[in-house]
Amino acid sequence: MKKIISFVLLVIIFIGIYFAVSQIPYGKDKMSVSKHYLNNGVKENGASNIVTSVVLNYRGFDTLGELTILFIGAIGLGVVLFGFETKGKDIKSPSLILNAGSTFLFPFILLFGIYIFIHGHLSPGGGFQGGAVIASGFLISYLGYPKKRISEKGIHIVESLGGTLFILIGLLGLLLGGYFLSNILPKGTVNTLVSGGIIPLLYVLIGIKVGAELAGIIYKLME
Amino acid sequence: MESIGMAVTGFGTIFLFLGGLGILRLPDVYNRLQAGTKCTTLGAICTIIGVGLMEPQWFWKTLLIALFILLTNPISNHAIGRASKNSGVPLCDKSVIDKTEDFKK
Amino acid sequence: MIFITLLIIIMLIGAIVSCILKDLLSAVIVGGAVSLIAAILFYYLQAPDVAMAEASIGAALTTAIFVFAINKTKRLEENEENN
Repeated sequence: MKKIISFVLLVIIFIGIYFAVSQIPYGKDKMSVSKHYLNNGVKENGASNIVTSVVLNYRGFDTLGELTILFIGAIGLGVVLFGFETKGKDIKSPSLILNAGSTFLFPFILLFGIYIFIHGHLSPGGGFQGGAVIASGFLISYLGYPKKRISEKGIHIVESLGGTLFILIGLLGLLLGGYFLSNILPKGTVNTLVSGGIIPLLYVLIGIKVGAELAGIIYKLME
Repeated sequence: MESIGMAVTGFGTIFLFLGGLGILRLPDVYNRLQAGTKCTTLGAICTIIGVGLMEPQWFWKTLLIALFILLTNPISNHAIGRASKNSGVPLCDKSVIDKTEDFKK
Repeated sequence: MIFITLLIIIMLIGAIVSCILKDLLSAVIVGGAVSLIAAILFYYLQAPDVAMAEASIGAALTTAIFVFAINKTKRLEENEENN
């Protein structure tokens, strides 16, 4: 009986959302804010990836809110698992192939993650994607050597430093520019590595912070 | 150069199709892992290198991607096989010998 | 166009199946497959940033975290009593 009611409700919600979304004129003449971003985005910011300039320059404050949500999630996991008693099944010691494979692959995955967030303003990518790839690298190194860990205090210190430096750069922008997170460094030429003001600096900090956070979550779940 | 690239890509897609067919029809977990590893690795490598031959400016990048797939796909399937043996998944009825009894000391 | 319609139908069937299964490990793996098809559709709609985020976080890390959580609790869902 409950299943029939929930199915009928789902169909009603689907019909409602379909009729609401199909009337939006995508890409036609009425969108004035997105036209302004597309036409003047590269000139005003100096970064050739327009998505990056929207995330970190036009809507930079919302990115600060997103970082706060990730931080609260990690703290919540730490609170829930604080005195957890049941150990679950034991993880068996890994075989020789897994040991050697994870030792060989770990530096390359880390290098690829760092490449993604350093070139965030030139090609698709950015801080969050690079941080997730770095966390997968840590996952495969934990599966290869379950007993040997990188020190947990170091990971927490790196994560807190990333968040604090982000806010400090924002306050520096308030001091020198007039509003929080204003663009104070020079813009440079388009399509080179050093361009776009503070945008590459902010992406490096976001990448390090998200990578350390997700690696800390996996470490906490695995012990 | 372009026609060689198209031929290699077509060859790769035939192998991917055969890998899927093998996973459907083979009787046992351990047999399906054989089809899943060899056919899909070879099919993916041939497809990506075929694309690299069709556009010569991307050739070295596709070579790197193919090398990465060649290194990681067999390791993950080895981990799956070892995990299913340790969990007690039974062998198929027509099996003749089980070599892992020698290592159980 | 037919290819995209086929992918969307497989995604819908996968989402419904992963709510009905009783074995939690199989449900998590089917959920990972739904996330992978969503990443392909994002790439088709010309949004590569979102596709990279969905593939790396949704398909890889979420599945791994769910498997660790199932290891600490139970694996088979028991029947709930209908009242």
